[in-house]
Amino acid sequence: MSQDNRSGRPQGRPPEGDSRLSRVEASLRGPFLLFFVSAVVWLLAASLLALVASLGLGSLAGPFRDCEFLTYGRVVAAERNLFVYGWAFNAFFAVNLWLLSQLGRFEFRNGWLATLGGVVWNLTLTYGVARLFAGELNGFALLEMPREVGPVLAVAFLLAAFWPIVAFARRPTGHTFASQWFVVGASFVFPLVYLLAQLMVLWAPASGVVQALVHSWFVSNVLLLWLGASALAAVYYFLPKVLERTISGYYLAPVAFWTFFLFAGWTGPAALVGSPVPLWLQSAGVVGAAMLMVPVIITALNFHGTLFTQGGWARAWNDTTLRFVSFGAVAFTAYGALQACAAFRGPSALLRFTSFGVGLEHLLTYAFVTMVIFGAAYFILPRITGSLWPSSKLVHVHFWGSALGILGCLTAWLFGGWQVGQLLAATSAAHADVLRSESSWFFLLTVSSVLLLVGHVAFALNAFGMILKSSAPVSSGRHD
Amino acid sequence: MKNLNILLAGVFAAVALPFGALLLSGQSQLGGLGRAAGEEGGALFPAREPGLAIQGREVYLSLGCVSCHTQQVRPAGQGSDLARGLGVRPSVARDYVLQPQVLLGDRRIGPDLANYGARTSQINVETLLTDPASSGVVWHPSYRFVEAAQRTALVAYLKSLRQDYPSPEAKLKK
Repeated sequence: MSQDNRSGRPQGRPPEGDSRLSRVEASLRGPFLLFFVSAVVWLLAASLLALVASLGLGSLAGPFRDCEFLTYGRVVAAERNLFVYGWAFNAFFAVNLWLLSQLGRFEFRNGWLATLGGVVWNLTLTYGVARLFAGELNGFALLEMPREVGPVLAVAFLLAAFWPIVAFARRPTGHTFASQWFVVGASFVFPLVYLLAQLMVLWAPASGVVQALVHSWFVSNVLLLWLGASALAAVYYFLPKVLERTISGYYLAPVAFWTFFLFAGWTGPAALVGSPVPLWLQSAGVVGAAMLMVPVIITALNFHGTLFTQGGWARAWNDTTLRFVSFGAVAFTAYGALQACAAFRGPSALLRFTSFGVGLEHLLTYAFVTMVIFGAAYFILPRITGSLWPSSKLVHVHFWGSALGILGCLTAWLFGGWQVGQLLAATSAAHADVLRSESSWFFLLTVSSVLLLVGHVAFALNAFGMILKSSAPVSSGRHD
Repeated sequence: MKNLNILLAGVFAAVALPFGALLLSGQSQLGGLGRAAGEEGGALFPAREPGLAIQGREVYLSLGCVSCHTQQVRPAGQGSDLARGLGVRPSVARDYVLQPQVLLGDRRIGPDLANYGARTSQINVETLLTDPASSGVVWHPSYRFVEAAQRTALVAYLKSLRQDYPSPEAKLKK
């Protein structure tokens, strides 16, 4: 890490005396900190549950065998919901708001509305997850919480996350940036998709396997068009900002944006290859997954092209924000390539029902999305709080815990999934043999989950320490 | 890219297109499916679930069994489900028309259950839940806390799962 970061000095401070910028940040402080603190608390809870789940897998008759609310199915559902709706959503409420306010010089005058949205969102999520532990589960990933939770979450989302669109509409200049397009698109898509999926799966369920079709469409939209698009917006902002140079091949960014939004929604049925849904729907999903390579290649040219010029990788390695963000950028390219390859019928026949799908999902939601959020936090928090990161050692522990932890998990899920897929394809292997093969990867999964937890605790200690240290509003603390 | 209305209209169109083409078309193709006889004058399938099985489905959902068990048999060429004896034919959309929540699943840590009720070598589920080791399935977690009435309902639900009837869309494996 650079000398600046070793000393924990905030990165990316605005020029001294730029009172407009400080007013923008001061206006965001309340809602930003609410979203961010909530996100970190949920991340810790999700990490703990991930560890419990991996322990449950590794020793199925093990430590939690007589605990009703810790059955594997409930723990996995709670962990997934806390990670996505708790950690990633709250974090992007904060990061997207900050990004669009910065780019649009937007002074946030209705902070109480966003704060109200954040409070309602987190209380509703707490209620929903409590119901999961009580055994009120639906059978669809990311729609497991009781259906009454859905409309409340949608309203809370509008209150908390619609402000980037307002910031875009009220920007003083005509010029726009790629980050703004992605955030506006993501903020607009989620409520639509969520309400439609709630309606067609839980409130007025579609007939038979159409539910599975709607669910696959919903999951691909949430993961790609909300989480993925928000993370891409952050990469398009932080890469040139910290490197102090323009994005390589930036003229291609509009193509990346439109093709990403055009193709991402078609990829869902690729998860249903071999299922009892019409073949043409499965094929549409496979084509969508292959076409998603277009924006993936363009973003790879943009991001990696920028990092490959003028010693960009070396600077990325020595800068905390860039180190996390470029890790995420590489992960996104890897995700795009892997999901396209795995969608085709041959590989899909081998890999379906194995942990490979879990690995792919985490390549997107953790290795890409979460690492980019971490990078963004290292940039934004010092500016919002006016404080320094208390410990550079904890920053190192956080990076290495997260990076090694997710690489270990991905190894277990992707390679383990491949191995299990081969055994499942061989008719001679009994199911007990298949499970024995899979369980050999569970140890690596457990160790990696511990590493992730350690990394997250280090991040939380550092971040909470910084927030507690900052007593004065940023505008008075920094500029007056 | 500067006009918010155009940007939102474009994004809306990008979302609406797959929604219409995939979901609404899928609904119009599959939404009208109902029970049917495999041969003229034969009984209608899928059969309606008995009341106890409906209660058992709630227990299945509540315990999160769908995290580890699938309920779908893939066709030949898409995995070895038929060769492994998971079913006598691939699952078809009609098999699920009576299910209030379709539990296809996407992980197969445990075996597929689409045809559990039709299997000849059924393990004793009650023993499996209370004492997995003595049932010979050491990898299954213990669910000792599940009450006896719930266990009975769960067994009834599992026994109601069968796709071994003739369907107009799929032939039985010879």
